[in-house]
Amino acid sequence: MDHVKLVGKPSVVQDAGDVWIVQLPRFGPEGIHFHTYGQLTPYFKGLGEGKLLGTRCANSRCPVARGNGELWLPPRADCPDCHQPMQWAEAPQEGYIFAYTFVERGGSGLEIECPYYQIDVKIEGVCTILKSYLLDRRPIRIGDRVRARFRTGAEATHTCLDLCWELEEN
Amino acid sequence: MISFAPGNLRVPKWTRPVYMVAAGTTDFRKRYPDRKLEELCMMAFRMLLEENGLRRDPLDVKGLINFCAYGEFADHFQDQLLCEAKVHDYLGLDLLPNVGIKTGGATGGSAMLVGATTVASGMSDCTLVLGWERMDEVKTWTGNYYIATAACKDFETRLARNYASYYAPMARRFQEMYNVDERVRAAIAVKNRGYACHSPFAQQPGRHTIDEVLNGEIVSDPLRFLECCAMSVGSSAALLCSEEVAWQLSDRPVRLYICGGSHTLRTGDRRPMRIPLLPHETEEGYRELYAEMERQDGRWPGFESFGATRFAAYMAYRMAGIQVPVEDLDLVETHDAFTISDLQTYGDVGLTLYGREQDYVTSGDCYHTNPHTGRPGKCPSNLSGGLLGTMHAVGATGIFQCGEVFWQLQERYDQMHGDPKMWARFGKTKPADWTSLQVPAPRRGLAISHAGVGSHVTCAILEKAW
Repeated sequence: MDHVKLVGKPSVVQDAGDVWIVQLPRFGPEGIHFHTYGQLTPYFKGLGEGKLLGTRCANSRCPVARGNGELWLPPRADCPDCHQPMQWAEAPQEGYIFAYTFVERGGSGLEIECPYYQIDVKIEGVCTILKSYLLDRRPIRIGDRVRARFRTGAEATHTCLDLCWELEEN
Repeated sequence: MISFAPGNLRVPKWTRPVYMVAAGTTDFRKRYPDRKLEELCMMAFRMLLEENGLRRDPLDVKGLINFCAYGEFADHFQDQLLCEAKVHDYLGLDLLPNVGIKTGGATGGSAMLVGATTVASGMSDCTLVLGWERMDEVKTWTGNYYIATAACKDFETRLARNYASYYAPMARRFQEMYNVDERVRAAIAVKNRGYACHSPFAQQPGRHTIDEVLNGEIVSDPLRFLECCAMSVGSSAALLCSEEVAWQLSDRPVRLYICGGSHTLRTGDRRPMRIPLLPHETEEGYRELYAEMERQDGRWPGFESFGATRFAAYMAYRMAGIQVPVEDLDLVETHDAFTISDLQTYGDVGLTLYGREQDYVTSGDCYHTNPHTGRPGKCPSNLSGGLLGTMHAVGATGIFQCGEVFWQLQERYDQMHGDPKMWARFGKTKPADWTSLQVPAPRRGLAISHAGVGSHVTCAILEKAW
């Protein structure tokens, strides 16, 4: 099976108690950006454990969620509609392709081997549409069903690249 | 927000009117090694002071300036923080105040907006708006990565590092939802690059064919190479004034209205909402579209449209008294960084209904001369050559667009584009088949300045004031 591969090295993360701080190298050991995942750390840790975690607003006084909000993916710690903290919940690990492009060439530093499909995935119960990439290279269409795959353990990059998708009919 | 409280929809009301009296620009090139950045800014500033028929000597005009609003997209490209101070000093404007404006691709438009508010509020009687970008210090694919840092660094940048790949899914979705023929997108590239052939400022003029566009190399499917703008270097400027100063300086001042809108950085985070209606639209007019969206699991603005553009137009039309855009506007400049963004914008600004953008392009109304009738198009777009044909030195772009609309309203297209000396200034020869793209007696024009996948947008309306 012709599957898309990653070409970069996994990102180094520093476990600082509850949060992960990911290292983004710029110019040598003195030139690293230490970028915190902050309160979204559970999402990135979850990918490494094969879990797709979103957040939802459970505030009964939220003008949009009214105590039963849909999931957000990417997650956010605070609800934009009522500003109260959101709650973590697992999202379904399947959805369909809402939009896509076949990336023939990416910019400098791209860690995904070209060409590949960048896909936007619509998931039941999620109010947003999640951008990701597809492992398969064969022709696809809007509406094709996909299921989540994860890079876990030694394979984990500790970035959004740890989530990818494959066509369900494989 | 996915619904507004009445307070959110207050139409801006300026304390006093704002006028534009002069524009200036450099030409635009992929690489411009023979001029430093501040030297390019001086070229645009000098054209603004010296070549707009102002009634005062250039240095006397300079003596009226109270405030400067500068547009620069990315410190990454300039590799210089506080570039504004270097430019300001180089133009000899110390110790006057200046501010730097940064809203991605809409930086130029936002600089116009901020500059306008300094005049509208009484802070200034005469404000210089000037923008620039120097994108030639790095190779194109590193430049593409820099631009892609304007996607979300946690969730999106690593998924392409090339901005065309964030527009391409919108093009794909738009194409499938509205059943768009790829040849329509290609026709936009042919039109705008063709108009650029008549501009001495243009970076990539070209007489292409639809087949040539479609047979070209793919950058990110379905977008072809000729459907994407290029890295660009140059500077543009505008001079904004109070009513009193405007009439002192010019016998042909142009009234300016400008409003903004913004939307999430991540396309997929645009939650569904009702379409904010423009003055000429009704809920009934969109009943079919909403039904169609339900069938196709679509949403507004979804991947097909730009909520920020609609919001900016919603406000600007009410501010400027635009009732029916296609009748009330005589020309527009859209932010055609990609063919698809040009196509998407026609619905957002209400030149046609959402879902009928393709028909609007094929109708020929957006051409200088309607190819079907041979008569003037109803509301020509991007006669400047646009971003595809002429320039996208990002911090300058929104200002350049306003400048081109301004010259059109003053009926000075020929003077600024047709003089052989203007071509010679930039080392070019005026083409033998040069033709005028002057719109006959235009009264009002529009310019859209646009960032990211629609994160920041300004909508400027320029109106003949004499």
